[in-house]
Amino acid sequence: MESTLPAAPAAPELRTQRQRAWHTFKRNRTALVGLAMVVLVALVAIFSDTVLIAPLTDAEPTPLLAPYDPTIQDPRNRLLPPSWEHPMGLDTYGRDIFSRILYGARVSLMVGILSVALGGILGVILGLVAGYSGGAAEQWIMRSVDVLMAFPSLLMGLMVLAVLGSGLTKMIIAIGIMLAPGFVRVVHGATLGAKQNDYILAARAIGAGHPRILFRHLLPNILGEVVVLASIWVASAIRVEASLSFIGLGVSPPTPAWGTMIREGVQYLTTAPWIALFPGLAILFTVLAFNLLGDGLRDVLDPKSYQ
Amino acid sequence: MRARSVLWLLAVLVLLLGACAAPQQAPEGQAPAPAVEEPMEEPAEPLILRLGQNAADLRSLDPHFATTTQDRSLVDMVFNALLRYKPGNGAFELMEPDLAEDFPTMEMVDGKQVWTFKLRQGVMCHPSEVTEAYELTAEDVVYSLEKAATPERSAYAGEYNGMTFEAVDDYTVRITLETPLSPVLFYPKVANYSGGMIVCKKAIEAMGDEAFKTAPVGTGPFMFASYSPQEKVVLAANPDYFRGRPKLDGVEMRYIPDISSREAGLLAGELDVINGIPDIAWVDRMKGEGDVQVDVFGVGEVATVHFNMTKPPLDIPEVRKALAYALDRDEFLALFGEPIAENVYSPVPAKFLAGGLTREEVEALGLAYDVDRERARQMLADAGFPDGFDLEVVSSEMTGYRRIYESMQAQLAEIGVRLKVNIVDHSTMHSLIRQDVNPIVVYIAWRPNADVYLTRFFHSDSIVVTGAKPDTNFSHYDRIDDLIEQARGETDPEQQIQLWKEAQIQILEDMAAYPLHYQQQVYARRANVDYGHELVSVFALYPGIDENTTIQR
Repeated sequence: MESTLPAAPAAPELRTQRQRAWHTFKRNRTALVGLAMVVLVALVAIFSDTVLIAPLTDAEPTPLLAPYDPTIQDPRNRLLPPSWEHPMGLDTYGRDIFSRILYGARVSLMVGILSVALGGILGVILGLVAGYSGGAAEQWIMRSVDVLMAFPSLLMGLMVLAVLGSGLTKMIIAIGIMLAPGFVRVVHGATLGAKQNDYILAARAIGAGHPRILFRHLLPNILGEVVVLASIWVASAIRVEASLSFIGLGVSPPTPAWGTMIREGVQYLTTAPWIALFPGLAILFTVLAFNLLGDGLRDVLDPKSYQ
Repeated sequence: MRARSVLWLLAVLVLLLGACAAPQQAPEGQAPAPAVEEPMEEPAEPLILRLGQNAADLRSLDPHFATTTQDRSLVDMVFNALLRYKPGNGAFELMEPDLAEDFPTMEMVDGKQVWTFKLRQGVMCHPSEVTEAYELTAEDVVYSLEKAATPERSAYAGEYNGMTFEAVDDYTVRITLETPLSPVLFYPKVANYSGGMIVCKKAIEAMGDEAFKTAPVGTGPFMFASYSPQEKVVLAANPDYFRGRPKLDGVEMRYIPDISSREAGLLAGELDVINGIPDIAWVDRMKGEGDVQVDVFGVGEVATVHFNMTKPPLDIPEVRKALAYALDRDEFLALFGEPIAENVYSPVPAKFLAGGLTREEVEALGLAYDVDRERARQMLADAGFPDGFDLEVVSSEMTGYRRIYESMQAQLAEIGVRLKVNIVDHSTMHSLIRQDVNPIVVYIAWRPNADVYLTRFFHSDSIVVTGAKPDTNFSHYDRIDDLIEQARGETDPEQQIQLWKEAQIQILEDMAAYPLHYQQQVYARRANVDYGHELVSVFALYPGIDENTTIQR
């Protein structure tokens, strides 16, 4: 009996697909704006001080984009309103809010990206295994995911932090664990669809092992959905980080974090609104950036958009 | 046609509803209500003072376990003591008799000090669910003081060691002390603060200690009425109060931990008094609100930095002194603003208590430790730490603590000391510092006299974890036990004060602790609230609400 295997996609075709995706992306103005905003936040986070250059010169990092050291206090001038010298004013300790916002981008991006990466890796592995293997493993994984998804995201993060304790690394782990069930569910669904394709049958026929089928054939075909999801969930992770910091479970002082800054400013909302206002706007800007980028990516990676 | 049917249906419904809503017939034997209402005088709206307190819930209204501001303030309204601090002013010289008719007489009998109190007659214990109102007698007073002296039934038992209590007759109480005390030390033990509050024996015996914690029965101007967990406690005016019926009909203590909610409640007229923020910016803003007045008053809770002398490198005196020279009192002060906070120069605040050292006194002795970071760096280098060192502490999330720790972190960084601050909730911090976790402990507290300050923070018995009676000696300091005990037994006030000062000079010379400032109480009230007394200092850390407090309506 003779079986006909589908032809492997040719390299030029692949390039064409990529070109087409980029072409679609470029035509999507909101996505471009989102990308530009994300790049801006990333640049601010990286170049707020000389942390990248400092190891080369064997010197302590000094502020670069930020006008001041974000931890230097000037209590005698605390709560100073915005001025040319301090464009966003001074906080309750007399620290420059503009500098703290620039440095705070680091914590937000680090938590956003690393926690999504952690949740994504966990979710993809479990989702692939559940979708591909079926049977008892699928039941166990998916019912556990159902249980975990029954908890609101913030509550879930709080529960994990209650066990681990507070701090940056623990917060990344907490948010990663919080996001993982969502990834599992999406990847599971996508795997169920993708594993029915002929190329999976073909791979099996030529004797490919399960790991190879999972990671060489299934994963690349569902990665698009994961990337779209991840870009949107970075925004959610940043939001959760700000919420956890707001309730006092964030990074240790004096490290600037936007959520902590809002918390500090809440009791001065009527006397010194700039303390909470500017970090709030920073969160809004960054969350919006990732949402716009995520929407754009979804349009690009959705096959229907080519039609 | 269809529309008409709907209209009919509606008409029938209206008639049916009208029939249901018809006035109920008067019960048999009663005349029906008159068709035309006669003009009636509306009952006056009860005068209830609504106080928004910065707390989530109460802990204990048993006065011998009430240690937090939210509990002390309620206990203050429900109970009396043999003596009391003058409402609104906690100065010792202004103390006055409360349940006692007059100040006690003192005599020495067989080397023991005997204080005799004559009680007022006609003082009534509040009625409760388990007991009728009844007259308070010496039996209640003795029972209450014995309870206060029993460790299982009181948080203040240690203060009554070596005391025996006796009811001579219904209106005479005799207290015998193994070791004589001066009035400065004895009177606070029987005053309206902590263990001195008198509980009603029959009520507490009838309901049990546990139930008493949420249903207190005393003799004060207000009686306990109800408690809604995490919401409020309601007190009702005591019509039989021995100083006369209170002008208010009651007090509602509402638990509102969020300042924004308290503030909104006050501005909207839903609250009459609120616990504010110890920050001059907040005070200034609230003063700008039309119908609001802000009171800043004592007593000031003293913030002190305790250095743990057992944790390297703080076991080296020069290192502790270097840290002291790195700290700038004025920077800490600026975070709160005067007059909310004022600098102090000895562990006992000279402004409020006898035995404290004034700025002039410590400066004359060269023990003010005014900021000198160059000197601090040099001292650290001489001690073998030219590059500084690392320390890790836990801090409460509460503003008063967090600000001090974070400011200290920035100040110590100037001399190369890297302080890592981990923020935890307030009760966790209290628990951890008592487990000796912190190398540096910031503690903000009010104590009623120099002896209590020095004993609880600097006597070796009070050393955390390892002391004979572990308390709040976070420094592990043990060099002034003799002076504390000598001062305690001294009956000559001037000599006693001198001994307390000597003890504190020793503390400063050893730099076991660095006194920072005291933080005063900040409360805002509607302009129509009149406390009935001038506010200078209140031990219970709230404005003091009594029979003279009223609301002008």
